[in-house]
Amino acid sequence: MLSAFKSIPTHMDYKGQKLAEQIFQGVILVSAVIGFIYGFTIQQFGWTVYIMLAGFTISCLLTLPPWPVYRKNHLNWQPAMPETSGENRDKLQEIQKKKKHK
Amino acid sequence: MNTVLSRANSLFAFSLSVMAALTFGCFITTAFKDRSIPVDIHVSKVMIKNVDDFTGPRERSDLGFVTFDISANLQPIFDWNVKELFLYLTAEYSTKSNALNQVVLWDKIVLRGYNTKLNLRDVKSKYFFFDDGNGLRSNKNITLTLSWNVVPNAGILPLVMGSGHKSLAFPESYETAKSY
Repeated sequence: MLSAFKSIPTHMDYKGQKLAEQIFQGVILVSAVIGFIYGFTIQQFGWTVYIMLAGFTISCLLTLPPWPVYRKNHLNWQPAMPETSGENRDKLQEIQKKKKHK
Repeated sequence: MNTVLSRANSLFAFSLSVMAALTFGCFITTAFKDRSIPVDIHVSKVMIKNVDDFTGPRERSDLGFVTFDISANLQPIFDWNVKELFLYLTAEYSTKSNALNQVVLWDKIVLRGYNTKLNLRDVKSKYFFFDDGNGLRSNKNITLTLSWNVVPNAGILPLVMGSGHKSLAFPESYETAKSY
């Protein structure tokens, strides 16, 4: 059961993470300002909390699931190197030792 | 911010910080308000008895009976930072043995959203008006004041005295027990 949850891909790329953070901070701050002004106008602090919770839910829906908009800038990984056998590793170590002596 | 849990963590922590800032803003907008209103107190009946006081050190103490009317409009006190008011009626006087005596005679809790116009008639005191001794008889100056404790959503709990008091005098003689 848990493995099914863990296999769902939830990653975002770096630009996507930055965008997600800006989005949720913006949404929560805007809902906080709206809630404060509305609660002050009708003199009930309960409405301020309700509007804040609504802003929290909206930003959860917008930023928690990995929407495609957060995956537009793919990381450019280097192409995979061919499988190294034991000889190549020894050669590499020899080259590194020679460089150190120099 | 790569997994759902770490995004949820930072989102939740940010919301809590913003919520704390909003609560502080709520406190700041009402911290310096004057919460005093005019109060009208009338006294309809005053009686005094001299009975055994088992909680005190002496044999007999003065017990006063006061029946009063209170009217006040509490609506201006309730703002978005007030959860409830705890009202109490205090009798203040001085006797030969004690310079200052304060006795709470009656109290009431008024919650937010409930009826804020106080218009009570012929209310008997809730608590015994015992004196520490026999200083109530023919005491000319007993001051009744209504005060309240403001319980806020966020901030300090001030004790406010209403502007308006009533002075009354106790009779010279004790009331004897009536037999029918």
